[in-house]
Amino acid sequence: MLLLVAPAALVLVCFQIIPIFIGMNASFRDWSLVNPAKTWIGLKHYRDVLSDPVFLYTVLPNTFMLMVSSVVLSLASGLGLALLLNKPFFGRPVVRTVILLPLTVAPVITATMIRWSFNDQFGVITNLLSVLGFPEIGWLSDKWPSFSLIILTDVWIWAPWFTIIILAALQGLPREPFEAAQIDASGKWRTFTHITLPMLKPVIIVCVLIRSIDAFRTFDQVWILTGGGPARETEVFSVYAYVEAFVHLDYGKGAAAAGLGALIMLVVGIGLYKLVNRLMEVSR
Amino acid sequence: MAEVILKSVGKAYGSHPVVHDVSLTIADNEFVVLVGPSGCGKSTTLRMVAGLESISSGTIQIGNKVVNDLPPKDRDIAMVFQNYALYQHMTVYDNLAFGLRNRRVDEATIKKEVEHATNILGLAPLLSRKPFQLSGGQQQRVALGRCIVRHPQVFLFDEPLSNLDAKLRAQMRIELKALRERVATTSIYVTHDQVEAMTLGDRVVVMKDGYIQQVGTPLDIYNRPKNRFVASFMGSPAMNFINVDLIEEGGRTRAVAKDLSIAVPERQVASLSGHGNRSVILGIRPEHIHLGAPAEDLGTTFRGELTVTEQLGSELVVGTKVADTLIMASRIAPETELKLHEHAPFWVDPKAIHFFDSKTEAAIR
Amino acid sequence: MTVEPFTLPIARPGPTMFERFAPGAWRVFIGLVIVAVLMIFIAPVAILIVTSIRPASGIYYIWRGTEFTLQNYVEVLQQPQILHAMFNSFVMATLATVVSLGVTVGSGYMLSRFTGRIQKTWFATIYVFRTVPYISFVLPLYLVTTNLRIYDTYLGLLLPHIAVHVCFFSWLMKGFFDSINPSMEHAALIDGCTRWGAFRRVALPSAMPGIAALSILSWLWTWNEFLFALILTGQRTPMITSTMAQFVTETGTEWNLMSATAVLAMLPALLVTIFGQKYVIRGLRM
Repeated sequence: MLLLVAPAALVLVCFQIIPIFIGMNASFRDWSLVNPAKTWIGLKHYRDVLSDPVFLYTVLPNTFMLMVSSVVLSLASGLGLALLLNKPFFGRPVVRTVILLPLTVAPVITATMIRWSFNDQFGVITNLLSVLGFPEIGWLSDKWPSFSLIILTDVWIWAPWFTIIILAALQGLPREPFEAAQIDASGKWRTFTHITLPMLKPVIIVCVLIRSIDAFRTFDQVWILTGGGPARETEVFSVYAYVEAFVHLDYGKGAAAAGLGALIMLVVGIGLYKLVNRLMEVSR
Repeated sequence: MAEVILKSVGKAYGSHPVVHDVSLTIADNEFVVLVGPSGCGKSTTLRMVAGLESISSGTIQIGNKVVNDLPPKDRDIAMVFQNYALYQHMTVYDNLAFGLRNRRVDEATIKKEVEHATNILGLAPLLSRKPFQLSGGQQQRVALGRCIVRHPQVFLFDEPLSNLDAKLRAQMRIELKALRERVATTSIYVTHDQVEAMTLGDRVVVMKDGYIQQVGTPLDIYNRPKNRFVASFMGSPAMNFINVDLIEEGGRTRAVAKDLSIAVPERQVASLSGHGNRSVILGIRPEHIHLGAPAEDLGTTFRGELTVTEQLGSELVVGTKVADTLIMASRIAPETELKLHEHAPFWVDPKAIHFFDSKTEAAIR
Repeated sequence: MTVEPFTLPIARPGPTMFERFAPGAWRVFIGLVIVAVLMIFIAPVAILIVTSIRPASGIYYIWRGTEFTLQNYVEVLQQPQILHAMFNSFVMATLATVVSLGVTVGSGYMLSRFTGRIQKTWFATIYVFRTVPYISFVLPLYLVTTNLRIYDTYLGLLLPHIAVHVCFFSWLMKGFFDSINPSMEHAALIDGCTRWGAFRRVALPSAMPGIAALSILSWLWTWNEFLFALILTGQRTPMITSTMAQFVTETGTEWNLMSATAVLAMLPALLVTIFGQKYVIRGLRM
């Protein structure tokens, strides 16, 4: 029966575990894509990355900012949408279908759509905003507007995911505590904060954990929307590693950055995991 | 601490009626048990009193107020749910305090009330625990406590003991009984368990298919069932029913089936006479069928083949076959030596013979 | 100890803020929210579709113009690279789904039925590998595939895809089998099935609904995947996402053609959303 795991384990080892070690090896060498010598240079790449102001003062803050704002905003709007969809209303099936779009359409296409809608000359939304009298914003030419667009895109993609999972959880909640709360004279808001939310807490915590880990490695939307620009100001960690390796052709530095990212994520991941376990125990 | 009056209360889901024309007056401090098989409308009736289900027709009055359109929180009731419905993420104390806090009772009063309730229920050491750290019985006590702290006009119980195992259920039943003495409040209790109905209720309401079958004290219901359903539902092992013909024989009316002839007691002859010699249903509870021969000739003896014996230790329950009918007899001395497939004599206590109309199944008295 | 009964202040069912303000206002408000939600999720897609059927000149007139054409699609479909990319993505998504599911159905079953150290290790591995950002092993994978001379081939992209799916899917598969009562298989064993027969004829059919949902999502994920395609494929085996990206980020002005390409690339997603939503929802809840 052990044989059943063997193929899975084999592919895993060859194409995930071994590459990570090869990457680590590469990060200790002057493994530029144009230099065949591949000299061992120890920790130099790591020092380079850690002393690179772009990495320290743009990439890292951006990455965590994207992670936190995307998760918080998607959770908030996803939760709101789930509560809305939990009550029957005319057209509910349509809304439920429509919110699946972001989850099935490729992030690359989503980013393309957003980029086009916010095009500074012909974008429908840009024009709509200026017709409505909003001041002109260079959506893709200034740092903060670009970065907001990235966050917006991420929220557009992920809010429905929270909605679907929280909606499933809502519908699975037992009815009696809510009836007891009705008899206990609990108002709508108080029932939500004191009964609904605590009962949803385990699901929400798991969602936040998964999303936080995934949000750290966001690449597609950023690459298509801004390519890290203007002037590397919206680069996040995955984009940075890619740019160093394939645009600046310094493979070793890219690998070092990728390795550092993995390390950070391992620490953050274990931290979050422990936090989640603790929160789950408290919330039981 | 109020009367509860149901006047022609009905409930229908769309065109599908589940409760018909239920009228019932529950006196102040009375403990009434609604009992019946699942789907008989007892829970729906209770939930209409609670305000968790809308009332399709009729009125419900608590105290001197018609509550049809009041939300549950304004009906001054408290309810114990089948699965306790405790707030899993709150401590026992917070669970008890939640309803009071929502009503803006000050914390000092809440503390006093919670202490009072926990003293009654023996929950004091558990106040800072959360429900998942409690046993089923303890959780049920917390659910009771949540009712007690509120001093509501009416307690509602929706099958509160059915999630507990048999032993705990028996114990909680006794505790509930004791609790009634300490916290006298008008109570409506829903159960499918006839033992709970018999032991707890001042009055019992037997329901079936959305209709009230009979209302009465437990003994009344047990001894004078209004129809075959009530007779069969209350009591264990269940009453024996035998289709019989009424035959005049030597000046006495006898209920006759194949291999069986039971003299009809004098007091019942008159009411049965209306039925001529139509066939009726004879009902006898197992505990009124005795093994052996009576001291004097009562004309109620029969013989049957022993086909089943159930040794319960305290008594012996015997199944005997008369023609094709299996008749159960209980309360036989456990030491009695019996051989299966032997024929044995039995006699019926003439004071405890019931007759039911074979068509309407109503009791003939 | 006795406590004097007290009267509880009874909360009147007073009107909410909205009802006091204007009767029915709350319903209007909810209605507006629903419309807004629909707009937010439909608008970008609608804008893209409309652009794709407008002539090249039409995109400059944002509000006006009633000219519609399928010319963009004709033009896009005449480009061999795009057809090629769509074909490649189709093959890749199908292969990756079939192989990953085939591999993980066994491991998932084993993890579900045979508990012990392996299971624990496996879960730890999955968790750890979920935290590793893709870029951290795709970068080295570029070297691996180049050295194995499978860079820019089906195999060179397929194997990494499977590797990523393996962890995650076997965990999901374990979940499917966990929800099936093993006593059914025990009954099958007693009825004369072999262990393998019990798996194939009893456990597998019961897990089918979950597997179907997973296969649809897996197909879409692979079709939609971008980072692997960007790094591990080039001119010979282009994928639809990386081809699209080139369009958008490099040439970047022919929005009518780009939109037509994007709509084509979005077709599977649209089809699944409309016809397979049951599976998508089930899959996402796993």
